[in-house]
Amino acid sequence: EAAFLIRSEGAGGLAQWVLVELQGEVVPRQSGGLAGSLLGDLHYTCEGVPVLIVGHHILYGKVVQLEKPFAVLVKQGAGEPGPAGPHTHYTVTALIKTKLLFKTRPKPIITNVPKKV
Amino acid sequence: GAMRSRAEVDATLQTAKLNPVELLPAVHCLSFGPQAGAGDCCLLQLEPGLCAELEAGRSLVIRGEKDEQAVLCSKDKTYDMKIADTSNMLLFIPGCKTPEELNADQASCDIIHSQVAGFSNNYWELRRCRPKLKKLRKLLMEDPYEGPDSRKDQTLTFSKYTTEDLLSLIQASEEEILHQLQIIDACKIEGYWRVLEFDYEMKLLNHVTQLIDSESWSLSKVPLRTCLEELGSLEPREMIEHILLSYGRKYIDDAGEVYFEMHEDKICRAIAQMLLQNAVKFNLSEFQEVWQQSVPEGMTARLDQLKGLALVDKTSRPETIFLLKVEDLPEGNQERFNSLFSIREKWTEVDITPYIQDLCAETQTVGALLTKYARSSMQNGVKVYNSRRPIS
Repeated sequence: EAAFLIRSEGAGGLAQWVLVELQGEVVPRQSGGLAGSLLGDLHYTCEGVPVLIVGHHILYGKVVQLEKPFAVLVKQGAGEPGPAGPHTHYTVTALIKTKLLFKTRPKPIITNVPKKV
Repeated sequence: GAMRSRAEVDATLQTAKLNPVELLPAVHCLSFGPQAGAGDCCLLQLEPGLCAELEAGRSLVIRGEKDEQAVLCSKDKTYDMKIADTSNMLLFIPGCKTPEELNADQASCDIIHSQVAGFSNNYWELRRCRPKLKKLRKLLMEDPYEGPDSRKDQTLTFSKYTTEDLLSLIQASEEEILHQLQIIDACKIEGYWRVLEFDYEMKLLNHVTQLIDSESWSLSKVPLRTCLEELGSLEPREMIEHILLSYGRKYIDDAGEVYFEMHEDKICRAIAQMLLQNAVKFNLSEFQEVWQQSVPEGMTARLDQLKGLALVDKTSRPETIFLLKVEDLPEGNQERFNSLFSIREKWTEVDITPYIQDLCAETQTVGALLTKYARSSMQNGVKVYNSRRPIS
């Protein structure tokens, strides 16, 4: 097959997702892998600055409206013909028009500060 | 793991020494969804216009055989595809709200449990490109139509292409393919797209020009009805109409009659090709004499009609002219320039322009191409271009 169809359901069927851009790699803390494990808490200041608490780090970021939005493509299962027929290879499941960009170096959270005697 | 509670979120805020008063009340507790690590999702960066296409429910198609670089096509545009790597991690999160959305929604939940659907450190990047249409002509030239009397067509051949066939084989959008079919004067015969074999095409054209001459019609008012009546016994009616459409502009007069305004330049050009294809090169002045005698009464044969078809050699004594068709040259930029410089070492801008004009992308000019792929110098007071590198 020399052609791969990217099928879209149209605005009604397209979700709006958000992209979170982080420095570094995503590494599972537990040996059991990523699925189900916690990433962190995402807050916004009253001024709209995103604040992400991941483990012992605080990350400050900014909300960016993407000049070029992304489409999230999901590959159709190899064995199952999709509702669009056997030639559908990808479905556009969502559009991403906004990203939360965390470029600042994470500030470590100091949990145990020795008290002065 | 169990979902985080408000108490746990507040405890984390306290440990982090963040003041809840300075934060919006809603918090997203992010975790990884069950399929997050599976790699089923990928990101496609959208060029202007493509987002609207997808929102309108239109599909995009990735086209390319194993030996071709993949392209992405919308209904009317073609894009090169490339993987762009980032040093950062991109997480895609459904149901994650922006500050504006949270502020707008008065009833926004206190804790929003959001699952990361997937993550990636790369995405597909697109760049608008010229549709790869050279293959279209190549496919149709495998089996040009030689007329109804040709015995060839009665045997079963597999070198015939429907619109669907062409869509699956050509790396271009449907609109770009249909537009190109019109430009190369292709026609549909029994459901297959065909180009006419040149001799047959000239035979048809000759029928029409002889009829124009014998009827003393104005070249700008050739009646379809009479052409079909007079020539219908010689050639299929569809072919007569096709040749008129290829070499003329169709219009309808106030009485509803169909006429054609014949393209003088295109007719003269075709006759020149017919003359030039019989030898490697011709004495220029001899050729011009024969050519003018061969074109229909009332038409003027001019060398500027031959841009991209023939080249004059002003350095030979006597001056000569030879056939050089731009559509026979390579499609890629560097390969095209290599080919042109191997035919002639130094080119003036006037001479080379018809042979590189089609390489110009949306915003590119011939000048920009020359700057990139050629080196200029002066020769006898005239600016000429030669290759940047030695041609073997």
